[in-house]
This record gives sequence, structure tokens and C-alpha cells, in this order.
Amino acid sequence: MTPSVPTFLARGWRRLTFRWRRTRLERDLAEEIECHRSLKQAEHARAGLSPQDARELSSREMGNIAIAKEECRDMWGFIRLERLMQDLRYAARMFVRTPGFTVIAVLSLAIGIGGNAAMFSLVDTLLVRPLPYRDPGRLMRVTGIYPRAAVPVFQQRSRAMDVAAVSVGSEFNLTGQGEAIRVFTSAVSANLFAVLGAAPARGRVFEPGEDSPGRDSVMMISDAVWKNQFGGDPTVVGRVIALNGINREIVGVMPPGFSFPSAKVDAWVPLRLDSSNFLEYWGTEFVPLVCRLRPGATLQKAQAEIRALVTQFRATFPYPMARDWNADAAAILLQTDLVGDIRGKLIILLTSVGVVLLIACANVASLLLSRATTRRKEIALRVALGAGRLRIVRQLLTESVLLATVGGGMGVLLGMSALSVFKSVLPAATPGLAQASIDWQVGGAVAALALLTGVAFGIAPALSASQIDLAQSIRTGSQRSTGSVWSRLRSCLIGAEVALTVVLVVSAGLLMRSLLTLAETHPGFQPEHILTVRISPNQSACRERAACVALYERLLSSAREISGVEDAAVVNVLPLDGPQPSLPIDVERHPKLADHPAPLFWAGAISPDYIRMLHIPLLAGREFTEADGATSAGVLLITPSTARYFWPGENAIGKHIRIAGEQQWRTVVGIVGDVRQYGLGTDRPLWIPGAMYMPYTQSAREDGKIIAAMTLVVKTRGESAHLAHEIRSLAEEQDPSAPVGPVQPLDKIVSGSISDFRSTIRVFLSFAGAAMMLAAIGIYGLVSYWVSQRTFEIGVRVAIGASRRRIIAMVLMQGLRVSLYGVAAGLLAALAVTRFLASLLYGVAATDPGTFFTVIALVGAVAGTATAFPAWRAARIDPVKSLRVD
Amino acid sequence: MELLPGTLDLLVLRTLTSGPMHGYGIAQRLQQVSEDVLQVGESSLYPALQRLLLNGWVRAEWGASENNRRARYYTLTAAGRKQLAAEREEFTRMIGAIQKVLDMA
Repeated sequence: MTPSVPTFLARGWRRLTFRWRRTRLERDLAEEIECHRSLKQAEHARAGLSPQDARELSSREMGNIAIAKEECRDMWGFIRLERLMQDLRYAARMFVRTPGFTVIAVLSLAIGIGGNAAMFSLVDTLLVRPLPYRDPGRLMRVTGIYPRAAVPVFQQRSRAMDVAAVSVGSEFNLTGQGEAIRVFTSAVSANLFAVLGAAPARGRVFEPGEDSPGRDSVMMISDAVWKNQFGGDPTVVGRVIALNGINREIVGVMPPGFSFPSAKVDAWVPLRLDSSNFLEYWGTEFVPLVCRLRPGATLQKAQAEIRALVTQFRATFPYPMARDWNADAAAILLQTDLVGDIRGKLIILLTSVGVVLLIACANVASLLLSRATTRRKEIALRVALGAGRLRIVRQLLTESVLLATVGGGMGVLLGMSALSVFKSVLPAATPGLAQASIDWQVGGAVAALALLTGVAFGIAPALSASQIDLAQSIRTGSQRSTGSVWSRLRSCLIGAEVALTVVLVVSAGLLMRSLLTLAETHPGFQPEHILTVRISPNQSACRERAACVALYERLLSSAREISGVEDAAVVNVLPLDGPQPSLPIDVERHPKLADHPAPLFWAGAISPDYIRMLHIPLLAGREFTEADGATSAGVLLITPSTARYFWPGENAIGKHIRIAGEQQWRTVVGIVGDVRQYGLGTDRPLWIPGAMYMPYTQSAREDGKIIAAMTLVVKTRGESAHLAHEIRSLAEEQDPSAPVGPVQPLDKIVSGSISDFRSTIRVFLSFAGAAMMLAAIGIYGLVSYWVSQRTFEIGVRVAIGASRRRIIAMVLMQGLRVSLYGVAAGLLAALAVTRFLASLLYGVAATDPGTFFTVIALVGAVAGTATAFPAWRAARIDPVKSLRVD
Repeated sequence: MELLPGTLDLLVLRTLTSGPMHGYGIAQRLQQVSEDVLQVGESSLYPALQRLLLNGWVRAEWGASENNRRARYYTLTAAGRKQLAAEREEFTRMIGAIQKVLDMA
């Protein structure tokens, strides 16, 4: 009889109501059955039986009414649910009775599950969840970067793709709305938003043609700028503000969470396509291209088309281009491109938390195994009282799932704090990173994980406990009878745990070595007692070179007057701080070839005192002086690596260099030490073979104009905290329309440049620490259990004359053997996997012997300590007592 | 004779079509109509009645019995009538099928 769905629901509802009226139902049923019997009795009486006989016969005829009643009772409630509740209550009681075990188990699981919850949410947001744009599977990035001239070529000739361009972005001055601020702005082709399929929250997106000259004085802003700078004003659309001194109308506001091409970007302006502006159209900034496959177009077709278009376009360059320029251009999924090299880091982190969870599971499983053995007597009793094997297994599994659920609940809480730590490990501009949170999807995954781990670590103990020899267990209390399979499994679990721990500790050790090496790296300058502040006047304010020079001369001389300031200088860019400038260069007597276009030089612009203030060593020639002014002969300082690259074995002083496009050669007058501009652990990128300093007064950008935005650098005497405010207000006084950044000490900038790396290490250290703690608990549990199982045997040994020392040695051997196997396996595993860490390491080999030996010693010491306690206890076993126990 | 499994509910429903009846009445009636072939044990009748109640196919009310005791009278509900029709058809088909198999040459 299969009831229909409504019947099924109605039955469930009635069951629920029956459940509450149980006592009445019970009474009703009893009365009804009694009535039935009395009617029977009456009939028998009518047939002529004596009242006594009639009563007895009717009772007999009723049969086993108790079973019928039981069957009815089962129907009145949710019997399975009630059994589960019973199991849960029982499990909870058991756990409360052994608080030490419970706390250790729950904490291990909380750590394992919490880490995983946090990583799940990151991986889900960044790798798994599709980009929040229409049909994201067809959104591609064309690898390589292209001059603006390429944009119309691709847009017009492509049959398979809709192509858009989007620049990485740079800081623009936003004025005309409250205090002047710097807004990170990306220039995009007018069709970008259409190609992405992203709609604005207010106003509109760019219209076709708004990237052509004359029509491009429009912009869009992010939700954050709209809220912070415009106070969420609903009438913002249509307002005109100045961006880098150019008036633009705000046409739209993007919704919160829109972070393309990166989370740094807070405004979008049209990427002007003006073929009459040669430098802008063909030079300056090359931009990335994104595209959407047109309906019906295949990826293969798009790839072929990209190769053809790049080849065609390369031939149209008005200046020589390397023959293999972008020859390997291809379309890759936009999501893959946006995640970029974070992918590897995420996978390493995910694997590590997975390993921590495995260790936690092994630990809890081992604890449960030993518990199952000590509970043999109780379980045997329950079996004797009629509990089936299935019932016992279910009870024990309920216990482990309950443990995992509580651990999972705590894990989610832990995961929330872990998430913010993990986030700090990744670059903040990663699109979508801010949106990662532990939502219901991650919660669901965690719930599944908790259930799975509960079953995974519960199944072996449950099975081991259910195989019980009744009579023997009850008789002996089972202190000595152990299934050897299960205790061997336990040793394997602990061994594996130690092995996994070794892998994690080795990884953490290698990273620590890298950090130490990095921290000791000399960046090429001394950052102590230096305060910095960025001043960014509009480029239009520096139309006259002299005006700009005067501005900074004023700033420098008033900065020097502040008490506590020893010296002051300006520089266009600080080391280790953000994007570094570069310029295409002609080097005297290094003719350009078709395959070797103008080399790029890192290009610094400084006032004369900068080199001395930062203690950058002068190796040859002279420094800049006040005499190297705007109108005097062009001079340069270069670095030794540059000199070696271009003039190996020659004296570089007196050689000539010229910024591409300029007429005048500049003369190298001095050589100053190399500075780690790009990163503490990185040299200049390969495509930038040289580095040079220009005097600020002679500085030039690609377009030949003087650099407007500079950083004021002051050297302070002693305590500098109170100076920050004075210096900032001084900078603000010079030009009220110029945004002034925060005052930052240079040593903070230096340490901040490796904060990603520091947090990675912190995360790994906490993984390794957690793993080590879990492994110690595991070993301790294993050996104490071994000792408790052998109390009798040890008693006998002591009784027949074994010394304390012998007993201790015996127990130590037991623990150390397992650890030894674990360490050996762990070392092999570490040798195999640490090379995946190579991308995170600096100055240390992935198989660094020093680190490996240190880890062996460390893990050995921890294992020894964990074994020492039970060994000490074993040595104090009183033979008289232990022999009397069973 | 033992009942075919699952048929008791059907028989109880059918019996109740003639009007409200208490448990004893149902058992008596089944025995009479089947000419003493079907003996329904109380230990299976009462769980069956509970099942029908739970499914909403019958309703129960207390009333006075022949010997002036309180007795529980079961009444067929509309859902029960529908269920009876459906099951009856099913049962006939099943019996027919079994018969055909047994009769095959």
C-alpha cells in the first residue's frame, strides 16, 4: 500500500499530533481492547460458559496484545528519530563524563574544520564560482598587452569575438568634490561593460563612440567612491567633476562588488582612441584586451583569429617591433587570468589545511579506538542485554558524528577569524576577495565535511568495538584483550599523523628560512628615520617646468626649517612602494635592431640630497649638485648592474644615454649602488636591463614633460611621531588642489612590502604548530594506552626484577618506533612535495638539509616528550597493585 | 486461514462501508462474511486500525456498545472511500493476474 503525497504529509502531521497525545492514545487503546474482550466474554457467557471460564477464554483468545500495543506505539511517534535522540543523549552523557577526551577531540576537529571552512570560502569565491557577469564561460582574456591602435583593429576585423580593452589603471586626482583625493582609475574601451554584460546601479554605462576624442569627457564611479566621496547622493549622475584637472561628467555608478579589472579600481574613464595623438596611440601605456566569444564561435576559431590578427597588426607598427612580439598570444578564460598566480598559493594553502584536517581525524580516530577498547565491558553488557551489532555500531557512529558536528560548529566560528587571516595572505586587489565569506554554501560544505569526517574517524572504532567476544569480555573486564588488527591500525594512524606533521613543519621551516633571509637582505639603502609623503599636483599645474621646480624648491626649503628635520629631498618613486616607472632609452653605440627595440630603464627623478639621505653608496664619479639645473647639461647616475650590462669591462662614466624621442644626450656622471626598487626578494624584471637617476629639475616623462607627482622624503632626528602632522600640513599648504597622501615612515614601507609573505608564514606556522600539537597528543594517547593495556605485564616484569630504567626504555621504544617510522615517511613525502613551495621560497632550496635536520630534531624532541610522560608513569607501576587488578 | 499480507487494511475498509463499527464488530463481521474462513487476530486488527487512522482513511468516535460499555466506533472517511476503490481495483487486477498464471496450460 503506497500512500500518495498528500496522505503521506497528512500522516506525518497526524504522527506529530499523536506524539503529543500519547498518554491519551495509550488509554484509549487499552480501553478499546478491554471493551473488545468484554464483548467476547459476553458472547461466551451467552453460549453458556460460566463467568469465570468466559473471562479466561476471552483473555486467551485475545492473543499477544502487548505486541499489538507496541506496534501501535511505534506508529504514534517518529521511532527512528526517537532512537536517534536516545543515542544522542547517551553520547552526550558519555562525553560529559570524559571531559579531557571531549575537549581534545572537539578542538582538534574545530581546528581542522575551521581552517577548511575558511579555505573553502576563498577557493569557492576565487576559483569555483563563475565571474558575476553574463555567461562568464565565454569571457576571455587575450594574453599580452597592446597599444591603443590595436583596439579598433581587433574590434573591426574579428568575426569570432567582441573585443574590449581595459587598462590596469593608475591613480588620478579627483577634485571638485570635497577634499582632493587620489582615485585608482582604469581606462576602458566604450564597449567594455557591454562585453562583460555588467549593468550599472545608477545612470548608464559608456555608449559606443564615447572612446573617440571630443566625446570622452565622461566617467563612471564605483559604489565605494559614490558612498564615501559623494555621500551616496542619488543625484550624482550628471554631476561634473575634475579628474587630473580635466572636467568629466559622471554618467553611471557601478553596483557594490563590481571589481574589474581589480578591486583597487574605483573609477572608469573611456580609453581614448585618437590616431592623431601618435605617442598615446602607439606608445605610452599598452593595455590588456578582453573579449567575449560571439554566439556560435568556437574557442579554436578565436585562437586562430587572434594569431592572424596579431601578425597583421605587428606589421603595421610605425616603429620596429620584435619579430616575435606577442607571437604566443592566445585566449584564456578571463577567470583564470584574474586569479592569476594566486591559484598556486590557494592550492598550497588548501592542501595544507586538508592535511591538518587529516591529522585531526587520525588523532580523533585513534582516541576513539582506544576508548572503544576501554569500553569493551560496557558494550559487551549492552550486547548481552540484547542490543544488535548494528545498534552498537550506530550508537558509536552517532557519538563520532556528534563530536564532528560540535567540532564543525566551533570550526565555523574559528573559520570566520581564520578567513581574515587567509585573506591577508593574498593580494588585496584580487577581484572578489573582499566578497569571500562563510555563507550557507560553505556552511553546507562544512556540514557535509563534518559528517564525513565523523563517519571516517568513527567507522574503524565502531567496527572494532562491535566485534566482541561476549563471555570473555565480561569475565575479564577486557583489560588485556585487544584485537591486534585494531591496535596496529592505531599505530599506523599515529605514524601517518607524524609523517604529515613533518611535511607541514618542513614547509613552515623552509618559509621561515626564506623570511629570515629576506629580512637580512640589504635593500641597497637605509630606511631608518625617514618619513615620506606623496604629493600629486595635476600634470597641468606643471605645464611650465619652472613652476613645478619652484613648487618643490619651496616645499624642500620649508621642510628643512621644521625643527627635528635634518634634511629633505624629493623623489618620483620610493623603493618597494607600488608600480615603478620605466622609460624607453637609446644607449650610445648600442644600435636598435628590429629584434631589440629600445631597452626600458627604471627611471628615478631625485633632488641632489636623496642619495646621501638614504645612504645609497656612491661607487664612482660624482653625485648630483644644485648646479645640475633645468637648463644645464643633462646628467645621469646609473647603477653598477646597468654599467656591467651595457659597458662590461669599461668605465661607464662619461657614456651617453638619451630618453627615446629626445634630441639631447645625457651624460653618466656617477655610479651609485643598486637599490631593490621592485621587491626585497626580486631584482629588476628581465625586460628592464638598466636603472638610472635624473636630477629632478631635468626629469622627463615619455612626453618630455617634467614629472608632477613627487614624494617628499625627510630625514628626522630621533623620535618622529609628532613630525608627521606638521609635514603633511606643510605639503597641503603648497597647493591646495593637490592630493596629499598619508605620511609613512620608510621602514614601514619596507616591512609592508613583504607583509603578504609574513602572513603566509604566519598561516603556515599556525598549521605546523597545530599539526605538531595534534601529533604530540596522538603519540601521548597511543603510548599511555599501550601502558594501560600492559599494566599487568609491566607488573610481572617489575616483580621478577626488571629495573625502572628498563621499563622506561621499553615504553620509550614503543613511542619512538612509531615516531621514527612517521618521521622517515614524512621526510620522503616532504622531499617529494616541497618543490611545489618553490615559488614562495627565497634564498633557500626546497630540499635545504639544514631545515630538514632541524625539523627531524624538533619532531623527535616533541615525540620524545610526549612519550616520556607515560613512560614515567609506567616506571611507577606498583607490581603488587597491578597484579591484583584483574 | 492466514490473510494475504497487506489485505487486512482493504478488508477493514470494505467492512466499514456498511456504517460505523467498533473493533469487535469488524472482527465478527469479517468472520461471518467469509463464513469462518478468515480469522482476524486482535493483535493484527488494532495495529491495522491505528494505521488507517494515521492515514486519515477512517475516523474514530467513542459511543455506547451493546453491553453499555464505552466502545470506539470507526467511520470511513472520504479519503478512505477513495483509497478503498483504488485498492480494490489493484487487488482485482492482482488476483486476476495470479489466476491467469495458475491457469496457464
